[in-house]
Formats: sequence, C-alpha cells, structure tokens
Amino acid sequence: MKMAVRNYLVFLRRCVRIAFVGDWRYYAWMGALTFFCLLGLNAYAKQLAHGLVVTGMSDEVSWGVYIANFTFLVGVAAAAVMMVIPVYIYNNEELHDLVIFGELLAVAAILMCLAFVTVDLGRPDRFWHLIPGIGQFNFPASMLSWDVVVLNGYLLLNVHICGYLLYCRYQNRKPAKWFYIPFVFVAIGWAVSIHTVTAFLYVGLGGRPFWNSSIVGPRFLASAFTAGPALIILALQIIRRVTDYRITDRALLTLRGIVQVSMLINVFLLINEVFKEFYSGNLHVASSRYLYLGLHGYHALVPWIWTAIIFNVVAMVLLVLPVSRSLRWLNVTCVLCIVGIWIEKGMGLVVPGFIPTPLGEIIEYRPSLNETLVCFGIWAFGLLSYTVFLRMSVPILQGRLSKASESGDRGAGEGPTELRPAFKP
Amino acid sequence: MSDPNGNSTGTADSRAMNRRSFLRTSAVLTTGMAALAASLAPLMELDDFTSAERFMQKYYKELTPGEMARVLKRIEGEVERQYGIRPHVRDLKPMDGVEFVYALNLTRCIGCRKCVHACVAENNQSRNPEIQYIRVLKMPHGSIDVEKAQHNYAPESVPEKGFFYMPVQCQQCKNPPCVKVCPVHATWQESDGITVIDYDWCIGCRYCAAACPYWARHFNFTKPTIPKDKVNPDMAYLGNRPRRQGVMEKCHFCIQRTRAGRYPACLEVCPTGARKFGNILDPNSEVSYILRTKRVFIQLKEELGTSPRFFYYFDV
Amino acid sequence: MKNSHGTNAALTGLSFLFSALAAAFLLNLWGRPVPPEPIPPADPVFTNTATARVSGAELIRTGGDASGLDCYACHDKSKPVQLHFDEHKKLVLPEEHQDLVMGHGRHNRNNNCFNCHDEANLELLQTRDGRELKLVESTPLCGSCHGPTYRDWEAGAHGRPSGYWNQKLGPVKREDCVSCHDPHSPAFPSRAPAPGPHPLHPAARAASGSEGGH
Repeated sequence: MKMAVRNYLVFLRRCVRIAFVGDWRYYAWMGALTFFCLLGLNAYAKQLAHGLVVTGMSDEVSWGVYIANFTFLVGVAAAAVMMVIPVYIYNNEELHDLVIFGELLAVAAILMCLAFVTVDLGRPDRFWHLIPGIGQFNFPASMLSWDVVVLNGYLLLNVHICGYLLYCRYQNRKPAKWFYIPFVFVAIGWAVSIHTVTAFLYVGLGGRPFWNSSIVGPRFLASAFTAGPALIILALQIIRRVTDYRITDRALLTLRGIVQVSMLINVFLLINEVFKEFYSGNLHVASSRYLYLGLHGYHALVPWIWTAIIFNVVAMVLLVLPVSRSLRWLNVTCVLCIVGIWIEKGMGLVVPGFIPTPLGEIIEYRPSLNETLVCFGIWAFGLLSYTVFLRMSVPILQGRLSKASESGDRGAGEGPTELRPAFKP
Repeated sequence: MSDPNGNSTGTADSRAMNRRSFLRTSAVLTTGMAALAASLAPLMELDDFTSAERFMQKYYKELTPGEMARVLKRIEGEVERQYGIRPHVRDLKPMDGVEFVYALNLTRCIGCRKCVHACVAENNQSRNPEIQYIRVLKMPHGSIDVEKAQHNYAPESVPEKGFFYMPVQCQQCKNPPCVKVCPVHATWQESDGITVIDYDWCIGCRYCAAACPYWARHFNFTKPTIPKDKVNPDMAYLGNRPRRQGVMEKCHFCIQRTRAGRYPACLEVCPTGARKFGNILDPNSEVSYILRTKRVFIQLKEELGTSPRFFYYFDV
Repeated sequence: MKNSHGTNAALTGLSFLFSALAAAFLLNLWGRPVPPEPIPPADPVFTNTATARVSGAELIRTGGDASGLDCYACHDKSKPVQLHFDEHKKLVLPEEHQDLVMGHGRHNRNNNCFNCHDEANLELLQTRDGRELKLVESTPLCGSCHGPTYRDWEAGAHGRPSGYWNQKLGPVKREDCVSCHDPHSPAFPSRAPAPGPHPLHPAARAASGSEGGH
C-alpha cells in the first residue's frame, strides 16, 4: 500500500516537473499566459476590494461577460462527449487515441467555468454556504444548486478517467475496464446534463420571457456540439504541430462531420426562434427586438448578433461544401463557428435577457476594463491548464514518460537525450 | 556536450552551465513571484475584512436565541464603530394570525416619489450609489404594460395629464421565484408573508435578481454609503440594519415597523393616502375592506403565477 | 545545448516582463474605480409625514395663528351676510375673503357659501338635513354629499392613516377631510416630484442614448 502511494507521488512529481521543461516556444507561450493570468488576478483583486461596481454590471443588467463565458465554456466541456460517443459506442479507430485530449479539454473548461462563477459572486468568502451539510444547499429547487452538483461531478468524472488511463499507461499496465468504462458511459449522459442544467438556469425564470422558452435547451446543446468539436479540431492540429503525436486527417474529418450536423441543427433552431418571436406580433418580444433590430434608439448588440449570424451561416455553408475538407478552409470554418457561437451565447443570450428590465427600462451594458482583464486572465488560466495537461499526457501516451524511465530521472524529469522528446526542433 | 563556441566542455564548464541555467530559472521564478505578490496589492484597499466570527456565523434559522443575542450585539457594535451612533437591533418574529397585504390606489397616486425617499431614509439604504426599493412608473392612460412606462420623469409638477403613476416594489409573492432559485436559502418567506433576506448568508450570485419579475431585488455593487446623521438607529436583523458590499437587499415591508404593529414608512409619507397596508386575516382591516369592496384589482404580471400580495386598484 | 540561446532569450525576456508587470501593479496604472457622481441628499420635504394642508383643527391643536377662524372678529352678529353674484350668476367674493379659491364642484355647483356655512351662526356648519357642526368637525358635512368616499374613509380606505395598523399595540390617527382637502377648492394640489433614480454607471448610460425608459 505504501509502495503504491509512493509510486503515485513519484508519478505526480515527474508530471509536475515535466510541465516546467520545454523549448523557448514553450516558455514564451507559458510566460505570455502567465502574464495574462496575473493581469486578471490583479483586476480581480481590485474587484474584491471595491466590489462589483468595477464591472459594467448594474441592477438592470446583473449578469454580464462572466456568466456569458461560463455558459459558453460549459458547452465546450460538454462537447468532449462528442468524441467519446464515436469511440466508445461506435468503435471509431481514428479518434481512439485522441479522446483523452477532448476529456482533458473538458477538465480545463470546467476549471474555467468554476473560476468564472467564483469571480461573479458578490461574497466569495461565503462559498462554504453552498456545501451541503455545513451550509444550506437549496437542492433540488434551485437550478444553480443542480449546476454546482453536475459541474463538480463532471470534473471528478473526467479527472478520474484521464488520471486513471494516464497512470496505467505510465505504469505500462492495461487499465481495468470496470474502473473506467462505466465512468465513461456515465460521463456521456452527464455531459448532456451539465449543459441542459445550465440551460434550465435560464429557462426556469418566468419573469424573463426571452429566456422562458423551450428552445433554449436544445439550442445550447446544438451550439455546444458545434463550438466544442471545432475547438478540438484546432487543438489537435496544434498538438500535431508541436509534438510528434500521431493525429490523422481522417480523425479531423470525423470531427468535422460532427460540427457540420450540429451547426445545421443550430441554424435551424435559430430560424425557429426568430419565427416564433416575430411572426405572431405578441407583446413579449422586446428583448428579441432589442437584440436583432434595436429598441427605442438602443442598438448596441445589433452589430454583434448579425456578425454572429453571418459567421454561423457562412460556417454552415462551408461545412456542407467539400471545400471544408481542406484543412485550411476547415480551420477558417472552425474559427467562424467558435466566434459566432461565443457571441450568440454571450451577447446573444445573457445580455438581452436583461434588456429591457422587467419594468420596461433600458440600460445597456458594456464590460469594463477590469471585467475584461479578469476574463482574459481566466481564459489564460484555462489555456495554461490545458497546455500543462498536454505537456504531461503526450509523453506518457507515447511511452517516453513512464515508470521504466524513473531510474534515469535526475533533476529535470528526463535524461539528457530526452530533453525535448515530445517537441519537434 | 559542447558550448556555443564548439569547444568541448568538461565538468567545470557544465557546472558553469548549470549555474547559469539555475540563475536564469531563479530570475524568472523570483520576478514571477514578485509579479504575483504585486498583483494582489489592491487587496490592501479592502477595508471590510471579514472577521472569523462573521465568517463562521450560522444561518438565521439555525441561530439559537443566545447566539442571536450575541450576533445582534456584535452588529450594534459594528454600526457604532462605523457610524458613531449605537443602534437598537432587534430580531422581530412574525405575529400569529397575521398576513400582510399591500393595496395601492392608482387613482390617488400622484407620482411625487415621497415614498421612494422615505423608504431610503427609514431603511438605511446606500445613498451613493443610491439604492431605491421603490420605483415609480409613469404610465400612459389606457395601458398597464410596463414596457410603456417612464422611469425618469422630472416635470415641474405632478400629476401630469394623461398619465397615471404606479409605484412598484417587492410584491412579497405567495409563490416567490426568488426564493425558489436562491442556491443557499438566503431568502425565504416568513409566516406573515414577508420575503426576507439573511444579509449575512447571501453569497451575492444575483440569481434572485434575474428571477424576479418585478425588478424588486437590489444588489450592493460596492460598499454602501450612509451619511452618519441619516442613520436610522431603530433596526431589525432581517430589516434595515446596514448591509455590506456584495449582498442583495429589497423591500421587506419595513419589518422593523410592521412587526411592531406600525405602518410602513412609504405609507406614512404618502400625501394622498394612496397606500394601504394591513392584515388580510383581520376582516376589519382596511385592506380586507378594500379587497371586499373594490371590484377591479391588478396583480402585476398575474399570468406568471407569482401570486403577489400587492394589489393595485382604482377608485374612479 | 541546442536552442539554449532561444531558451535564454525567452527566460530573460520573461524576467523583464514580470518585473515590469510587478511595477505596473504597484503603481496602480489602470482600472482604478471611478469615484461616483455626487448625489445631493433628498430635500427633507420629501420625507416628512405632513398632510397636504394644515386643517383648522390642527392649527388650533398646535397653537398656530387661528385668528382667521374667528368669524365674528369682523362680522356683526346682528347683521346677516349678503352674498353678491355677478351677471353670470357666479359668486363674487368680498375683498376680505379674496384669499379663498372657490372651486368646489364644476359648473359652479357649490356657488353658495351657505350650502355649507350656517348663515345664522357663522361659527357653525350646516348639512342639508339640518344638522349643525362645529367648524373643526367638518367631516360628516363632507360625507353628507360624498357618500362612497365617506364610507371608504370610515373603513380606512380613503385618506392617510398613520401610526399603528395593529391597534392592540398602539393608536391609529385618521386625518379629517380638511387635513388634505381645502374645503373651498378640494381638488388635490399638484406638487414638484422628488428626484428620480440614479443609475449605477452614469457615464455608460449617457453614452448609450436617451434617458432610460422612453
């Protein structure tokens, strides 16, 4: 037992050590991300000292970019399931060795989500009030309590699955199926649930007719399964470029297929939503009118939403045409998807729900400098985490960081000949 | 191993290399740590630091009477330190056989906003930024649709022809959406119908503000400022004691007055007597009389199923 | 080592970057909270519980100047009061009573002082059914015509009660009609409204367009 614990600690120590080793591009990338993290931390310190008045939020628009990013990132985290399903249910060979990168992305995304929610709290020192047993957890009535449960559960699931598979690979041991396969299948359902619960946060509010609509849940999932795999396509190409891990074009094209179908559904649901809001002429469409057309002279969001719609439609057309089979066009399409859906979920969902207020007042929202820096900081932190995860997992998966090489380990985590094994010169 | 000049190196040079790489790495780590520490510098401006006692304070419904007495004393001390006057903070319990209802006569309201400011004065609300529990809407004749309302009217005199005025505050709904969504039970409805907030329990997630259909819940985006001479020392734990940065607050029917049998402040200043308040379970109260005899009531956004305890009616 | 120049440069660059960042943080170069716009304190007239006017009873109770209520200081008990009407049958106020605004009822409905005042005894009021009321007890007189309002007033639904809703714990004060309504011109006077709401971010509000609402 003691041996097992000691072995595990050695494994962890080597993983941590290897995160600090790399070539100049690695240091430059990590340094830049650390720079943004510190900027964000400083901005958050200002927010803690002076209150949320340093953001652009107010009683009228009481949720802003923090919750917008949170919503988008829950979708990205859920999208890991779009790699798990082809591999574990349909036995797709191409993606088999790449699923773990999707799951690691999910872990990084959930960490970002938790960070975004924490920075949005007015009194984060009272977080312990949420802990069931010690605090007062309003489960099952409050959808936020459901979100706390499902997000933390999903984090634990993915950390367990990735951690267990990586440790087994490190020990060159075949993983015991019963110790991870059931969790993978639970994670499939759980991934859908995290995003549905997040959608229900909005849908359950009768006082906000813009959100109180049954299409919000399906749209969330459709847009998540578009933006998430698109991000994964880009991430896999970066991994292919900086390491020599084997990633085939066919794998990328399989993911392209998923993005294609999801974007088609997403645009179809958008058409449904717009028809319902505008055709019958009933009175509760002020928020939609504000978003798409402007209302009473206020139109700050109109250019944003139309950009998003154009991006999404162009991406959809490109995805349907064979031209997106070429990687260059696929990458352009992926970027269009990600940006379009980020705008749609952020400015297109969170902010219009508050404009006009339930009493008909219009006060527009613009994120402040501090708010923006905090967002950059958390995104940088997420990218930093994901890079660290990759820096640890790629050598393990390739067998270069393994139990067998433990005895050769001195100082830098690997022997001199292996200083840059995973990174091309 | 060879150094950049191509000369073969022995152990002395590799030690030099190690020393240089050690210095390089430690330079980055040191400057990184310095930047990390410097980034937290703004926390020095945090003056509302939470004490251990405050941090560990239990939920309102779990406080024993002895613990509550200690908490009230502590609050009195804090207010005295901050504002220079010793308040009297009580924990008033709901009365039996009482359910509060508010009736507002839209024929009589002239939109003077005295209720707004009386509430601010009575309930120790922040003056800058200004929090107002009551919002008076100027509505055009013929419609109760709040999207037609004006909030910032400032004519020479009110009332103006062709408009009526509708003050909106927390409706103390029978089926409150804010209570349903709060993740930590910081807000709940008491037996006399008032929806209250435990200001020391709220985590400031603002979900209740998103859920409220009447825009009744207000957040302390920064430390509230109350001029020392304007502090109302007659306070209640669930009512008008001064709040902190980062918590929600809202109209609580002047709980420190109404649970002592008095009218709320907004009613007492209304020059036209448009506001009516009382115990609906008492058949002789004025609100019972109104609900019995007036024929047309408006409960705002009735279709949402919130069942507000606020009734708007017309005389003529 | 290959690439050590690159690593050197990167790490050195990072050291400088972090030092500069630390300095920038300590100098607090950006993101300082904007001091809020000053909001003038509300005029105390907006938070007092005064009624719209001071009735005669209140004037006497608080020891104010009630000389205007002493009719026989000027009138002679032996000489009955003569009312004068102009060519439109509208009452002409004598110059001693020019401070009154006559406006009780449209279309000159209450065009006669003695609809309410008792011409035989100017210190009394009279109802149509012959009851006599003191000047400071005018409420039943108003009620003798304004039935529905009087019923509401008796139940507490009209007018402004103050004090305790729970009479077991304290008294309630019901105001008389004339505490709010001038009997000669009862329509409620208009007044200047108290200041409206102040937004949290006035600069953002100004940038985004017209005043909130529409």
